[in-house]
Amino acid sequence: MPKTETETPKMKPRPIVRLAIFLISHSLLVCVVCCTAGVLALLLLPLLAKNTYISENALMPGSASSMISNRDISEANRLASDLSGLNFEPQDAAALESRGILTKYMSDLGAEVSYHKFHHKPNQFHPLHFFSSPDSTSSVDNFSCSAQGVNTVGIIRAPRGDGKEAIVLVTPYKFGKSGTAETLSLSIAYTVFSLLSRVTWLAKDIIWLVADSQYGEYAPVEAWLRDYHTPVFTGLGALNADTCIKIDDLYALEQKPIAQTKISDGFRRAGTMAAALIFKVADRNELLEDTLNIYAEASNGQMPNLDLINIVNYLAVHRQGLRVKVEKVLSLLDSRWLEILGEIFEVLGKVARSLNPGWKFGISAADYVEGSATLASSLYNQALGIPTGPHGAFRDFQVDAITLEISPKVSSHNKARHNEFLLRGGRLVEGVVRSINNLLEKFHQSFFLYMLTSPSKFVSVGVYMIAFALLVAPLPLVAASLYADANQLDLGVKNTKSTTTAPDELDITFRSWKWLYAAKEVFLVHVWGAAVSLLPYFICQIPNCSPTSSSVIWVSLSMLGLLILYLIAGSPSTHVSISQHEEKGEWAILKSVTISAVFIGLLLMSVVNFATAEIGALLLVPMCLMAQPLKLDMKAGKFRSLFRVICNMVLGFVAFPPAAYFVAKTLFEGSDSINMGDFWNWMESLWAWNSATYIYIGMVHLPCWALCLHILLHSC
Amino acid sequence: MLDRCTMDLHCYSHFLVHSLLKELKGNLIIFFAVWFLSLQILLVLLLIRATGHTLQMAYRQSLNSLDIVDLLKSSDSLSSGDVAALVYLWNPFTIAACVGLSTSPVENLVVILALHGACKGLVPLAAFGWVMATHLSLYPAILIIPVILLLGYGPDTPPRKLFLQKGYGKNGDNHSSDNCGQQETNHSKAEVTFSWRPVIHFLFWSSLWSTYVLVLCSISVKPHGSLWEMFQRTYGFILTVEDMSPNIGVLWYFFAEVFDFFRSFFMIVFHLNILFMILPLAIRLKHRPCFLAFIYIAISSMLKSYPSVGDSALYLGLLGLFLDELADMQFSFFLLCGYIGVSLLSPVMHNLWIWRGTGNANFYYATGMAYACLQIILVVESVSAVLNHDRKLRKLSVTKLRDGNS
Repeated sequence: MPKTETETPKMKPRPIVRLAIFLISHSLLVCVVCCTAGVLALLLLPLLAKNTYISENALMPGSASSMISNRDISEANRLASDLSGLNFEPQDAAALESRGILTKYMSDLGAEVSYHKFHHKPNQFHPLHFFSSPDSTSSVDNFSCSAQGVNTVGIIRAPRGDGKEAIVLVTPYKFGKSGTAETLSLSIAYTVFSLLSRVTWLAKDIIWLVADSQYGEYAPVEAWLRDYHTPVFTGLGALNADTCIKIDDLYALEQKPIAQTKISDGFRRAGTMAAALIFKVADRNELLEDTLNIYAEASNGQMPNLDLINIVNYLAVHRQGLRVKVEKVLSLLDSRWLEILGEIFEVLGKVARSLNPGWKFGISAADYVEGSATLASSLYNQALGIPTGPHGAFRDFQVDAITLEISPKVSSHNKARHNEFLLRGGRLVEGVVRSINNLLEKFHQSFFLYMLTSPSKFVSVGVYMIAFALLVAPLPLVAASLYADANQLDLGVKNTKSTTTAPDELDITFRSWKWLYAAKEVFLVHVWGAAVSLLPYFICQIPNCSPTSSSVIWVSLSMLGLLILYLIAGSPSTHVSISQHEEKGEWAILKSVTISAVFIGLLLMSVVNFATAEIGALLLVPMCLMAQPLKLDMKAGKFRSLFRVICNMVLGFVAFPPAAYFVAKTLFEGSDSINMGDFWNWMESLWAWNSATYIYIGMVHLPCWALCLHILLHSC
Repeated sequence: MLDRCTMDLHCYSHFLVHSLLKELKGNLIIFFAVWFLSLQILLVLLLIRATGHTLQMAYRQSLNSLDIVDLLKSSDSLSSGDVAALVYLWNPFTIAACVGLSTSPVENLVVILALHGACKGLVPLAAFGWVMATHLSLYPAILIIPVILLLGYGPDTPPRKLFLQKGYGKNGDNHSSDNCGQQETNHSKAEVTFSWRPVIHFLFWSSLWSTYVLVLCSISVKPHGSLWEMFQRTYGFILTVEDMSPNIGVLWYFFAEVFDFFRSFFMIVFHLNILFMILPLAIRLKHRPCFLAFIYIAISSMLKSYPSVGDSALYLGLLGLFLDELADMQFSFFLLCGYIGVSLLSPVMHNLWIWRGTGNANFYYATGMAYACLQIILVVESVSAVLNHDRKLRKLSVTKLRDGNS
């Protein structure tokens, strides 16, 4: 009777299973093809970039003529001259005075003015900040009275609105010690603000935040936003009253000259923010024409809705004739290999067009180089996860925001030129505000996940994901094939064997659970990675520690940790039960588990922050796939294995995070300033800004590197 | 082993209390809640452990009676009860459920109570556990079948046919006329029969307990409304899927999308989905009631209207009980990777959708579907592993018989 069991006809597996088996059994070829295609697709991205278009119809940018008049400009000039007249007084008094003047001007326009006091506190280590909502509790922490700033907020209530929505304009301004550029940005904002206080079409409230930028531009905006979104029912004034008497005295003193205007003590709010524009005037002067720089990257590679960039770009280029720029990696602009690549693509594009005029993906080599430099910068800024300006604070509250940095052509001593510059800037902001004012819903129509290759070209998520997907696709395949090899699983390739071997293995073998040992090892290394990424928290507590010594302590402590871990758990005596036969496949199973862990990590990171995952995959995927015990390759002694040894060595060196950092630094910035402390500073900036990249490096990249090294040095 | 468990537990609760206290500034209620939950987990641990021992004893006994003891030598070092208890204790899902102050540890406790009572033959305890579990979360009601089977047949054994074959083989085998063999045959024959006495007891006790619970409930809800209203607010809430806020299940999305006039139809379909699987599984796995209970729990935690990770923690813990049977389970590594991946990806997707606003509901729902798929694979693979195990046992005993005969 039992015979019938074994003699059942061999079932033919379903096509999808057969396909999977085919792929797994040819994993080497698939690996090479996929990885090459992934890198190639990444290089092709500038070619595949699409032109931006305005997706939301309601925006209608530039459909109305600008209304800014000379009156607004002369008012703004008056404000500017009043403010700059104060500059030679002592700083504290000048700050108070200038704030008073600003308040007076604002309230003369009929705006509600309020002050927002905030306490600057240095960034703290929040390893899990990514998962939490912007926290409201931190405002209760103790603070020093000295590090206090005061934002000035003016709100215009919309005549046609119901007060449920608002548009935010932000100008960073150092009260008391501002330069001409900052005053210029303030006067542009004032121009727009005074216009907006008169217009009848306004449907959303306008909030003008003059951020006190003495502690950087990000901190005041962030503090204001946090207070804006967390209602405090006791009143902010009462909360702070007993702690900072000195400031309150100043506060009272400052209110005297403008006693006739009513400044509310409490926190003023308008509705939910539809969008925010941060604009400032750059100190440097452009040679050719007025230029507009757009900064959009917020924390963890989040971008504002593409429509916001589109309308700014559209209005700046087509209405105001500004030159719009986004950041580029300058060192890539004159790199030879990129140029050659661009020429190759250009030729290919021409050939393709001659074959079929419908195919127009060819772009000129110069465009290609430009596009890839911009793309590289976009990728880098997103991967870093550090916001490129105060707009990053808005994105944390789901508000789309960008920073506009306008650089005037020549220094603005010429009166007419100065007024024209004000007019241009004002009209640009007015146009953008008017477009956003038309919005019926939040920005949702266009892309959130994209990368810019030029101000008017972008690569959307659907395109750039292909490059990443191709790069990581071999990982599960190789993991599966290694696992199958190590377990001598029958994948249906050798059909004859299964029936003969089955009766022999009537023992409970726990064979399919053999990976548990490898999983344990991988898990321990990941725990080590987590511990390593928590170490800086303690190293920071050491007083008077220079970055160099900090990084040395960090590295040595991590190595010590790894050594201890290896001595405790990594010794081969812990698993005796593995027979000699299975010992051979041990490293293969370990590699398989490592690759699976890396796959999960990269997949996760690609959702959190795509750019980090892409760059990480470029480093990790080849290393993981190549890793094989050096001993085996040495023994083999063939050319191919020798080549693999060299590749492994190089990759093992490059993928070590500090090494990767220094290599990248030398490549892009030259080798003159290599300092051990730089790495520490870089990592510190990552965790200070709560970048997910930091967690990625600590919990995915570093453990994977350690495991790959372990595989390389495996004694098999 | 036990003191290791309790020590682990102590550290664990200590850690929980500390982290929570820091977070919530010494809230006393939280403190007690955490202690309460830790107590639940301790109880669950002990019960799982005891159940595991019972199951393993039964398994060994049946193997003994089948004369294939050599099968056991490889798994001697592992006690399935301990493994199950440790899996339950260190499962991140358990920790998450505990940190989140979810009530699922309580539900898990009563479910385990029912299974333990049934395994040990403690009828009142089994009835109490079952009634309370049904009262708390309704879905454990389907556990009545495994509980009855457990009480009727006793703990998990290889298929009954095997014992019969064995018995016939021994009976036909005339030259081995020692008493021991004869006794064993009688013993195994006795095991096959379904004993109705404990089942009747169970039914009696469960009706008693449920009347008791209902009376208590009616007394306590009297100031606020009737008992019927309580049913509507509790079971009705579970059955009609009123709350469609996102969870790790699949129903919320579906019912958010479906047209209103189809709603009741699909509600019936989805709930019948669980019920459809009860009978076939019960027929196929009637010789392994504990495993059947595990499968039921896994299926209901996949298809219930408001699933949580606490439910998964329960069935993953129970998975450890069947260590010997599942030793040759396929795709175990894939499943582990899938569980890790999904449980990490799901909060990130949720964050992307709810907090960052750059994703949408589909992102999160995709992880929910992946999770459901993983659970399906787990159920399918574990069932097939158990059936394969049975086949293997049959082969072994047949070869043994043949060897004995020849």
